[in-house]
Amino acid sequence: MGIAENIKENLKLKIQNNLDRNYIRNILRIIGKRPVLAAYGATFSSRSDKYLNIATIKSISCSYNPKNTVAYGSLFLPYEMFHALDLAPFLPEVMGGFTGGLGIADRTLKEASARWYTPDLCTFHRSASGAVELDIFPVPNFLICSNLACDAAQKTFYMDAKKFGLEDNYYLIDTPYDNDESSIKYLAAQLESVSVDICRKSGKKLDIRKFKKAIKLSNEFRQWAIKASDIRKELCMYPKGFDGLNFILPFHGLAGTKDAVDVYKTMYFELNGFLKKQKRGNIKNTGIRRIGSGGRTSVNNVNSININNSNPSSGNGNAGSDKVKKILWLHLKPYYNNNLFNLLENNNYKVVFEEISNVYWPVLDPEKPFESLAIKMLSHPLNGSVQNRVNAILKMAKDFNVDGVIMFAHWGCRHSNGGARIIKDSLKEQDIPMLLLDGDCLNKNNSSEGQMLTRLQGFMEIVDARYQY
Amino acid sequence: MYTCGIDVGSVSAEAVILNRQDGKFEIVAYIITPTGGDSKEAATNVFNRALEKSGLGASDMSSVVATGYGRLNIPFATKNITEISCHARGVVHYFPDIKTVIDIGGQDSKVIKLDSKGNPIDFLMNDKCAAGTGRFLEVMARALDIDIRDFAKIFAGTSQKVDISSTCTVFAESEIVSLIGHGVAKNSIVKGLVYSITGRIISMVERVGLEGPVCMTGGVAKNLAVVSALEERLNLKIKVPEEPQITGALGAALLGYPKE
Repeated sequence: MGIAENIKENLKLKIQNNLDRNYIRNILRIIGKRPVLAAYGATFSSRSDKYLNIATIKSISCSYNPKNTVAYGSLFLPYEMFHALDLAPFLPEVMGGFTGGLGIADRTLKEASARWYTPDLCTFHRSASGAVELDIFPVPNFLICSNLACDAAQKTFYMDAKKFGLEDNYYLIDTPYDNDESSIKYLAAQLESVSVDICRKSGKKLDIRKFKKAIKLSNEFRQWAIKASDIRKELCMYPKGFDGLNFILPFHGLAGTKDAVDVYKTMYFELNGFLKKQKRGNIKNTGIRRIGSGGRTSVNNVNSININNSNPSSGNGNAGSDKVKKILWLHLKPYYNNNLFNLLENNNYKVVFEEISNVYWPVLDPEKPFESLAIKMLSHPLNGSVQNRVNAILKMAKDFNVDGVIMFAHWGCRHSNGGARIIKDSLKEQDIPMLLLDGDCLNKNNSSEGQMLTRLQGFMEIVDARYQY
Repeated sequence: MYTCGIDVGSVSAEAVILNRQDGKFEIVAYIITPTGGDSKEAATNVFNRALEKSGLGASDMSSVVATGYGRLNIPFATKNITEISCHARGVVHYFPDIKTVIDIGGQDSKVIKLDSKGNPIDFLMNDKCAAGTGRFLEVMARALDIDIRDFAKIFAGTSQKVDISSTCTVFAESEIVSLIGHGVAKNSIVKGLVYSITGRIISMVERVGLEGPVCMTGGVAKNLAVVSALEERLNLKIKVPEEPQITGALGAALLGYPKE
């Protein structure tokens, strides 16, 4: 275990044994100090990972600081607005995910269950709600949510508002189905109205210059995120510890800040360096010709899949194992300790891109801030028809030339799982196999790792058999 | 050249020793044994018994391929391959034209779709629930106090069925006890149980996409009542290997040979 991992494990244990808002605030106050943060950052081997962790700690520390005006926000909101309003954003769903990584999800889920939160509600929201009830999360001043894609937030946020006596400071931004002029106007008006109201209640004046600045920074982060994604279209080797599925917070919650720019700029340069190494080392994702359904090898040519840390090229004559197979990952992943990604890595499967890293919105116009943020929201592939999402997925699959797609079917996530059949059929038409992997991102008791590993391995055997050696 | 395939399931473990000579495969020996509480021990035991039956030694095996849920716990295996690929390969050995494989084991069930060359191209496995598997039938047979081997005769000879509404094995058992208490004929309950299993399997088949010919494997394929009910519901004839319970181990043994 590396130094960074050791530090994280120690922090985890401390938090597990002291599940208290004040304790967490104190820990964050210590590790959020510049020298401590710098020292912690120096322990990471991946610079992208380093900037991700630093930005995350900074953001969470702000939300735990009682001097700041804290706003709970649901995932798909335009956070440029939060930063323009000088709000410290706190994303309960994302932090709900952190409870999985911190090993406290069992307790937060139990608390939610005791408070009658229905068990078919997604565990991100359920765990977050449990954490609120246990007084682990910071006290908000405002709660802002939308019904874009996920409909759980509007209910759980209202429950949270009631707990804190903040029903008057709860805002639900209604996101229309269609992406057209009238929808943009309707949504922009809501964003402006919410902003004005928050300013009034905070005793501040609405400062449009801050909106313009946030949007300019957002455009800059967007540009670097696209550049980093473009590198990944060719990249087969990654820095140790790099996992695109960990970047939800900077991608969403830090949009409009310099921190988001720094994270993605760093990612671009780090991955670009790796791409140059890859090209120099002639590590290619070619040499094994992929053939279509008419010319597959016979069923005899199945590779032995390695789940352990052994050399996958074990001399068994199955050259399909030596080729790097590229996977597009849809939705999210289990955030508790698991062997799924070990299985992929040890058998030369690489998640080359993930849906949550896809830049889906156009360049925003800083001169029309509310309209721009409305356009950003309405551009999300999860808004409107499932065909929007299908189109986005097909484009990603083509752009990254993937060998397969894995969709993690997180329990209770209706907006994602509901379209699974249509997505799978659409990919099938393009001769791209897809695995629908049932599981739960947070609750390890709600999925069997053995069954997930068998499905994953079976899928890899299917993909391997499609290649001619 | 000899290979051995070992399939360690949750209920039973099988081993098949195969010989390839002049391009032809011959099953030299096979063993079926209960897994018990220790899958590693079950694998060693079934391997040794197969060797004993074949008169060969472990060193005669050019490879030992492990499959089934216990495949990762077999240290002497040279490869591990999922039961999806192994059942597909085993079925294609018997029936090269099969397009859909239905495997119902002791505690899980799966449907595997094959392409024209016998490669698996899609599959579905049942989730955390043992309803619709061999375990379900065993529990119900015990509750009815009927030998499970009599299910086929009862199914064929009974016209009336009772719908079993519970999808859970535990609750279905309670439902059956209640039905018996209300004087419902056991034969009708058997018929209802068999259709209940087929209902779950058919929804999996429909999700994967039914394409004939169809083959059934796994221990439950020996239950002709289930086979008949599936044939009726799917409106086609289902092929069943002579010993369907060893299909996974056979496929593993076949995949132990170097690629052709």
